[in-house]
Amino acid sequence: MAALILLASCASLQHSWDQGNVQTVARLINEGQADKLAAMSAVPFLVDGEIVTLKPDVASFWSGIVKAGFKVEGATLVQAAPLAPDSYTQFANTMEVKTFFAQYVKKEARLLELGTSQSGKRILLIFSDSSFKKTIYGFKGPY
Amino acid sequence: MKKTLTCAAFVLFGAFALSAAPADVTYTEGDASIKLKTGTVQDAQIGDSMNTGDTLRTGEDGLAELDQKGVTIKIAKNTVFTLMEREQGGNTSAVLAVTLGAIKFRYNKLTGQEPLVRTNSMVAGVRGTEFTVFSGADGSTLIAVDSGQVTVESEGKSVDLAATEGVEVPLGKPPADKFTVPKELMDYSKWNADKLSAMLADPLAAMTSIENALVEYEKNVADYYATFLKYKPQLDDARQKRAQIAKEKSVEEATKYQDDVIAPLALQTGHLYLNVRYFSLAALSMRRFVAGRLYLSLKSRFITNPDDPTWTEFLSRFDRFLSSFEESIAPQLVAADI
Repeated sequence: MAALILLASCASLQHSWDQGNVQTVARLINEGQADKLAAMSAVPFLVDGEIVTLKPDVASFWSGIVKAGFKVEGATLVQAAPLAPDSYTQFANTMEVKTFFAQYVKKEARLLELGTSQSGKRILLIFSDSSFKKTIYGFKGPY
Repeated sequence: MKKTLTCAAFVLFGAFALSAAPADVTYTEGDASIKLKTGTVQDAQIGDSMNTGDTLRTGEDGLAELDQKGVTIKIAKNTVFTLMEREQGGNTSAVLAVTLGAIKFRYNKLTGQEPLVRTNSMVAGVRGTEFTVFSGADGSTLIAVDSGQVTVESEGKSVDLAATEGVEVPLGKPPADKFTVPKELMDYSKWNADKLSAMLADPLAAMTSIENALVEYEKNVADYYATFLKYKPQLDDARQKRAQIAKEKSVEEATKYQDDVIAPLALQTGHLYLNVRYFSLAALSMRRFVAGRLYLSLKSRFITNPDDPTWTEFLSRFDRFLSSFEESIAPQLVAADI
């Protein structure tokens, strides 16, 4: 019984961390804080099926979407899951993206799916929150 | 099956990619890193050696200088530079690949065996002592010669450049007309910004150039790989025969067979595989640093307007390009290339 309670609390704690991380990314986008997003991003970084290997290009991506007026309104956590061997297919079913997940994404990273109030569009993040360091490995969407 | 063979060939014939002269890092400043052939990325430090397959990248504030057996290679900011190799006329040739950014080459002495210089859009044979190569965001190249002579080749057309001459080579097209290099320092940033603007103004035309260039790479990869597949079983058979000779006749005869038959066959097979890798990696460079960056720029631009016909048409063309790449080039790549 105690083990079940402990498991439930862990799951609940994880959910609130995931929710908090999703809100953080959405807030930074909405506030136009491209520099902070770039600083949180790993290099190489994944955008949809594209591996971005240059730091200035990762920064350009964030500043570009902010400059375009992109906002994540009404962000909510729809799904969160640890990485699975086939997680890469959610970004692109290619040799490159498969290798990216295997080589560059920390094992403890999670896939966080955000729902937005913008015509039900969603965003997918590869996010790691460990050792007091939040890292975004990838961004897909809105889709 | 193809992937397994690629991995096996990479292990067996990878040794052919180790013979080019290494380039020693003699200076670095700011953001400069080396991605080793093994896939490991490390900060570039003075005294490091770059070997075939290694890539040096500089960031916004990065600079680096290399020395490769008397060739001084000055790497500007925001540049991607790779040491490569290919087979040409039965010999292994070193290739200095400027995938993105600007590099100035200075040859302190000419030996007649100068490495080729390649970008996404051209290959240059060097008989010059000082020249600069600019590799633009749209895959095009600008080459300016300070002294000596450089022969620039693309799409079957070659142009000889003498001192103070330059030429631009668009991606997938032959070299344009030569021009006289202005005396003042060339403004690479402006040239590159103009190229980027033109590419973003007509992304579908840019995709056409990229797709055409991919077709060329695919053709080379397919041709060399098909020949490699013909030679590989011959080499395997010859190795078995050598073992048989050693067992049934003598070690001396087996050694003679090794020298007379196996060694030339192994060299030929290795060269074929070297070219498969060379063209595959060149295609990957273009896919990553021209096509991928175009995708990223357009994604940012159209993220709030995803139904724009330019974006949807671009996406459809880009998907077609990716499918083709995945089918024809990706099987020749290994994890460390990514």
